[in-house]
Amino acid sequence: MARTHITTSLRGGIPRPLRGLVIPLVLLVAWWAAVRFGWSTSPLLVAPSKVWQTGVDQVVSGKVFAALGASLWRDLAGFAIGATAGLLFGALLGASRLAEKFIGPSFHTLKQISLFAWIPLLSVWFGLGDAAKVAFLSLAAFFPVVLNTFEGIRSVPPDLLEVARVLRFTSAQRWRKVILPSASPAIFAGIHLGLIYAWLATLGAEYLLVSGQGIGNLMIDGREHFWMDMVLFGVFVVGLVGFTLNWIASRIEARALAWRGRSVAQF
Amino acid sequence: MERSWPLDFDSADLAPETRAPARPAVPAWLGDWLLAWPLPLAVLALWALAAHFEWIAQQVLPSPEAVALTFKESLLSGELRANLQISLVRVFAGFAVGLVGGLALGVAMGLSPTVKDYSYPLFKAFAQVPVLGWLPLLMLLVGIDEALKIILISKAALVPIALNTYKGIQNVPTRFIEVGRVLRFTRWQMLTRVVFPAALAPIWNGIRYGLTHAWLALVVVELLASSEGLGYMIVYGRQLFQLDVVLAAVVVVGAVGYALDKGLAAIEKRLLGWRKEAF
Amino acid sequence: MAHTGTLHIAHLSKHYEVQGEPLAVLDNITLTVNPGEFVSIVGSSGCGKSTLLRLIVGLEDDYQGEVLLDGQRVVGTSLDRGIVFQEHRLFPWLTVEQNIALGLLNARFTEAEKTQSVREHIALVGLEGFETAYPHQLSGGMSQRVAIARALVSRPEVLLLDEPFGALDALTRAHLQQELHRIWQAEGITMILVTHDVEEAIYLGDKVVVMEPRPGRIRRIVPVELAHPRDRVALPFARLKEDVLAEFAGEAEAATAARHAGRRGDGTRGPDSGFALPNGLRFAL
Repeated sequence: MARTHITTSLRGGIPRPLRGLVIPLVLLVAWWAAVRFGWSTSPLLVAPSKVWQTGVDQVVSGKVFAALGASLWRDLAGFAIGATAGLLFGALLGASRLAEKFIGPSFHTLKQISLFAWIPLLSVWFGLGDAAKVAFLSLAAFFPVVLNTFEGIRSVPPDLLEVARVLRFTSAQRWRKVILPSASPAIFAGIHLGLIYAWLATLGAEYLLVSGQGIGNLMIDGREHFWMDMVLFGVFVVGLVGFTLNWIASRIEARALAWRGRSVAQF
Repeated sequence: MERSWPLDFDSADLAPETRAPARPAVPAWLGDWLLAWPLPLAVLALWALAAHFEWIAQQVLPSPEAVALTFKESLLSGELRANLQISLVRVFAGFAVGLVGGLALGVAMGLSPTVKDYSYPLFKAFAQVPVLGWLPLLMLLVGIDEALKIILISKAALVPIALNTYKGIQNVPTRFIEVGRVLRFTRWQMLTRVVFPAALAPIWNGIRYGLTHAWLALVVVELLASSEGLGYMIVYGRQLFQLDVVLAAVVVVGAVGYALDKGLAAIEKRLLGWRKEAF
Repeated sequence: MAHTGTLHIAHLSKHYEVQGEPLAVLDNITLTVNPGEFVSIVGSSGCGKSTLLRLIVGLEDDYQGEVLLDGQRVVGTSLDRGIVFQEHRLFPWLTVEQNIALGLLNARFTEAEKTQSVREHIALVGLEGFETAYPHQLSGGMSQRVAIARALVSRPEVLLLDEPFGALDALTRAHLQQELHRIWQAEGITMILVTHDVEEAIYLGDKVVVMEPRPGRIRRIVPVELAHPRDRVALPFARLKEDVLAEFAGEAEAATAARHAGRRGDGTRGPDSGFALPNGLRFAL
């Protein structure tokens, strides 16, 4: 596969860096035209300008920040709890073969239960409010973190452990200097995944446990009132937050794993 | 290999294989299997006691016997089977759409720099919004019947499959491509004999993720907007405070998820058996 | 015996663009390889020997000068010119015989002829019994033998070998050098071997082309007129080795002198050209 040269001239058509914008622009224009020329009479067809206006309103009035704030604090709280518990639990499973044999199978079975199936159960035990949501989010972050931490610790190369033996490391030293650093790529990947799942779960929690505020509630609201502009704005915000969270996680990972050369969480 | 210095038994990882293995009292796999039971059995016993002594209200925590009974009833009456069937059909339909779409998109982006230039940024942006983020929008556009579910499930599957396929094709090692060039492979031969076999492992990974996400999306969408299926069973059981129904359905959801993943893992073994220390 | 032609390289030059500046990799290479000859090319890192091979096999183009096989200009790759790389580059998802059969994918033989040829070449490299093994089950030496079989199975006119034994241990290397020699005698194919191991070059080659780096040039061509099988410890062999090594010693001394004078010999800042180890065999990178 020959390397293509990046041309900045228009000789070969549209310059490469700009090509990604073509389809979105075309869609945007088509959308605007559909509204302007009345191609559809559906009340759902709102003008792009209306969406923009709604968005501006939301930002200026601070409503979107309130909703977002509520969603995010739940997301991060649940993530923090779930990730911490996950790290400890995963470390336990990784370090002790005995623990793995006793607890492992049960864990793996529970892991199979599709995440959202837990919500009705949680709603019975925790009610419909924030407590249930945070519990659910912790669960969402818990599983991937445990799995990846466990994998990471198990995959420490035996060669390195032998070096630790020869150098007479204590248990604590072995953990701090060999096991944790070696497992850190996998652990970070797990935390990254946990973050992704927690954000996914945040929305689901808001849909299913309909009480209180949140960006998901904003969209449900919009849907129930047939406010397409609100819904579209919500989609945009959700995407933006998802992207930001991903980006932050990647940066942290890149920094912490600079010795590694390549990011593990490509997914 | 005999070691002469004293062995350190701090970590189970370093269990010395240097000692002659003691004749095991019980074969290893059987021992492991037995060890798996104490925890769940203990939990089960606790549960039974809690229900029996009514430490927690019946509605919050039905007794194990009640759940088992409901399970049997619902199985016999065909209710469970009917709902399960509906859910399975849905998830396979959605997954199929997502699979075909994802593979097509991933291959197109991977093989053609032009296609990738035009569509990757938009695709990436699209992928930033999790499946659930699209739900209200889709509800507005297509209502709440089958189309909604199929679309959401296929989106859930399409993203990881397309992404992994694209990356897999991109990352085919140049050294294999060069062998193909030296041996005068045609474009078709290069694709079928070098690119796809080399990219198969990441593609299959994507497919596994895709199925997992599809199943996840199915459960959610059935919880929210359905009048049949396993998710629906969970919802109406919850609303009627019949937790035994809920638990029975949850068990089935878990079992199916497990079976799907195991099935794919088995196929993976067949297809990628050569992958010992390959790359 | 395979049909072989003459490889004629005339005034071959190649340069890369590095940050706008041209970097000369090969400069005015002229070399003739007669049919059935075994030519060894030695040089330290950076002398362009691998680039030279890649140009001959057609993996790189954009050069000045001429590369002619049998009077025909070399354009792109061809089954007339086979290559064995330093890494075996076997496809991990194929068995040994499937990997070798790849070499015949686009060759003009019948199915029966192809099967026969694959079987012959497995025997030629001494891997009978391993037809259905996968690469991960083979040792480094065995994998490299499969790579050699894959390159030979289409009966090329010229076989190029780019430091094929560099990644193997010394014992396997010695063994495979003997094997390669045996195969060369059996098949009569023209072979061009690139190596940094002077002993290997003299053991196998009819002539040794000594290259110098920055830019890559032929410094000298040393004919090896020893009878086969060659004895590595005999006097004539040792003398030849001294002779060739002397070329590099001079280079190393010049590099050291230049370093002490505060600059490189040719005025540029390049990677360390290496140094001569006491046994003179290896050049560190």
